[in-house]
Amino acid sequence: MTLPTYKEMWQQADEVWTRTARPARTLIKVGVATCSRVVGAEETLETLRREVQARRLDADVMLTGCLGLCYAEPLVEVIRPNVPGILYQLMTADKVASLLETAVAADGNAREHALAVMGDKEFGGLPALGSLEFMRGQVRRLMANCGVTDPESIDHYLARGGYEGLVGALRLKPVEVIDEVKKSGLWGRGGAAFSTGLKWEFLYNAKRKPKYLICNADEGDPGSFVNRNLMESDPQLLVEGMIIGGYATEADKGCIYIRDEYPLPVERMELAVAQARERGLVGEGILGSDFSFELEVVRGAGSYVCGDETGLLSSLEDRRGMPKIKPPFPAQAGVFAMPSNINNVESYTNVPLIMRHGADWWAEMGSEKHKGTKMFSLSGQIQRVGILEVPLGTPTSDVVMRMGGGPPKGRKLKAVQPGGPLSGVIPASDVDIPLEPDPYRERGVLMGSGGLVILDDTNCIVDLCVYFEWFAEDESCGRCTTCFAGTRRMLEILRRISSGRGRLADLELIKLLGSIAQNANCFHGQGAPTAVMSMFRFFEGELLEHVERKRCPAKVCRGLVRYEVLHHSDRLPAAEAICPTNAVVRDNGTYRIDQLKCIKCDACREQAPYAIAVVDEFAPA
Amino acid sequence: MFSQASHNSRVTPVDPVAGSPELLVRISELIEDLSADHVDLLKAFHRIQHEFGYLPHEAVPLLAGKFRTTPAIIFGTIDFYSEVRTAPAAETTVEWCSGPACLLKGSLNIRRALEAILECEMNRTSSNGNFGLRLVQCDGTCHLAPLVRQDGRYIGPLTVSESIEWARRLKGEDGAVQTEGEGAPAEEESSQTAQKVESE
Ligand SMILES: Cc1cc2nc3c(=O)[nH]c(=O)nc-3n(C[C@H](O)[C@H](O)[C@H](O)COP(=O)(O)O)c2cc1C
Ligand code: SF4
Ligand code: SF4
Ligand code: FES
Repeated sequence: MTLPTYKEMWQQADEVWTRTARPARTLIKVGVATCSRVVGAEETLETLRREVQARRLDADVMLTGCLGLCYAEPLVEVIRPNVPGILYQLMTADKVASLLETAVAADGNAREHALAVMGDKEFGGLPALGSLEFMRGQVRRLMANCGVTDPESIDHYLARGGYEGLVGALRLKPVEVIDEVKKSGLWGRGGAAFSTGLKWEFLYNAKRKPKYLICNADEGDPGSFVNRNLMESDPQLLVEGMIIGGYATEADKGCIYIRDEYPLPVERMELAVAQARERGLVGEGILGSDFSFELEVVRGAGSYVCGDETGLLSSLEDRRGMPKIKPPFPAQAGVFAMPSNINNVESYTNVPLIMRHGADWWAEMGSEKHKGTKMFSLSGQIQRVGILEVPLGTPTSDVVMRMGGGPPKGRKLKAVQPGGPLSGVIPASDVDIPLEPDPYRERGVLMGSGGLVILDDTNCIVDLCVYFEWFAEDESCGRCTTCFAGTRRMLEILRRISSGRGRLADLELIKLLGSIAQNANCFHGQGAPTAVMSMFRFFEGELLEHVERKRCPAKVCRGLVRYEVLHHSDRLPAAEAICPTNAVVRDNGTYRIDQLKCIKCDACREQAPYAIAVVDEFAPA
Repeated sequence: MFSQASHNSRVTPVDPVAGSPELLVRISELIEDLSADHVDLLKAFHRIQHEFGYLPHEAVPLLAGKFRTTPAIIFGTIDFYSEVRTAPAAETTVEWCSGPACLLKGSLNIRRALEAILECEMNRTSSNGNFGLRLVQCDGTCHLAPLVRQDGRYIGPLTVSESIEWARRLKGEDGAVQTEGEGAPAEEESSQTAQKVESE
């Protein structure tokens, strides 16, 4: 009874997908996701559709998700029949005409725009996508459909093995599904790295009804955008993961809580849920079984602590999203005091793969202790900003220096922030450590959710700590004094140091604040000093330079530098013209900076880098 | 979808003189199908804000009635979320990303310059009401860092000079006409600026 329905669905889906996978005429795929949308991918898509029609070209245009190569967006893939797809980069709408003329109409390659050919084999003198530094070493399991299928088509998902995992799970007892997830060794990807199978067992054992299964798609860590990519490029994977989770834990209702800053993921997830409901994959009697599961998308309203699991629960209950006091744990009393389970997007999306291919297959990837793959986003001082997926245990340097290309040319790596403002930083000398929780923990750092932010030698560690502490203070829910007042005090002291009024006693004060923060209720307050503690551990010299000599070695801290005209140059009039506060003044043909007016914005130095310099405010010249 | 036992059943009477009748009617229409039993408060915020661009204070008693709670609780909830705004936006709002990638690439310099040129502090509106500056969180578009957004348009990566020239155009200074850029104007500008710097 179950299988035929799925089979029918699959057959129909396969027909739809075949037209895309082996097109009879030219197929043009345009990746539209948040990252490409902001550089004009939607305009590219529209222009292509219009122009293909206007020029009566024998071609189809299709929407797809994001391959993770944010640095090369907008990406367009052109697949001519019986030829591997060619990927064109930086395809803004103005380049569409030239692309159509060379790559589609004339059946050639628009070589000057080409990035690579899809797959692992080079073709026509173009490198294979898999051979690009950014891609080599990646293992794309979660991202297998990203930038390949149409995220708005459930058929594409089904045809590529989608919902096979669910069909398999429905043949098992819920406990057997949980056992399989436990056997895989999957742990939560949201930061705390707790066993997903075990967490599911807690909910399974809770007997009060209704039970809730919640997906934490708040992804509030600034600089993390891996969950976003999955939701907008392969939303059905998350829907399937949650349905399997619902079955395994005997939950009744599911909810995907997405942050307000992610409008496109909200749109695509809502569509995905609706499509799944139409096919009988969500709702009553799923795939002919007697298992029923409801699923809904909820949009947040801008709050970091709503990413904490109990903060998220409060937010769902129509209240201020303040983290609750534990115990009771969510499995005992979660949303509306009913048993609940909360997992990250990436945790749920691994489950369909485990159920489809088996726990053993899944655990083939990864290090000895930590199994599976993990997605990371790269941003900051890095040549290739993007999203990638590697086996856990891959050396950090491999990801940061090779795939990401390291800091811009001529600069040196300084530090890596692995996952969010509460995670801390590791110094460049430790960049070879494997990307898995333990080596980070040994250094007092958390691997976190996977948003790698890269610092280079032009960045100041004190400045970064001011930012982290500002963020922690700004987002504190206000429940615990140690958190809301502690972070405020810490911020005051750090700002004092960065403005040149730091004193040695401040260092002890910071450490004291760092230790009392452990008494805060949730990890927001407890983790707030992590970055500052990393600074003490790895960058004490730089910190002392700020405190004792009132010097910022990277010349970033505003209170410790000033701008001066040191030489003459014919660029100085441009500097005078750009200054927003008229602080570049001309006296009898020579220029100087009016220190009372200067707001230290750096624009004049950009215009006249030879003439104007940033100098230490206090240190002897 | 979620159902729950009502944990608070105080009903606040709606004060009909608190705002224009049309406004109250429109708000009531917007939240008509929502319910306290369905965890719809966030949805109500989004709908009202989508309609008016902000959440008018007149909505608070209506929401309190609908969600069977007090105006104070509703206010507290509104206040908690940074994306729920309680005042109309300025005619032109410039959003400044506060995230780490932008920070490391010099966003604070851009912030200072924008504040000076638009004569407006962060999260405030300029005294003539024309410009607003708003601090926003990183949404993972860090390949454009450092960036600002204006009416949903993303502009980056920006040098400080480019951001100054852009803000001046926005303000209509420099005799330049306020241009509605398309495509990726920032890139063109950045190559120009790079040339300028090199030619020194
Ligand atoms: C302040 C704070 C913010 C958090 N933000 C997120 C988030 O955005 N996404 C997420 O999945 N987990 C976040 N977490 C972790 C969650 O509390 C929780 O551990 C996680 O959602 C559990 O899912 P997992 O077991 O699948 O990792 C945050 C925690 C804290 C303390
Ligand atoms: S630690 Fe901070 S965020 Fe967490 S409950 Fe306490 S005050 Fe709120
Ligand atoms: S740093 Fe900025 S404010 Fe100061 S002189 Fe230069 S351009 Fe003017
Ligand atoms: S830090 Fe500004 S977009 Fe990510």
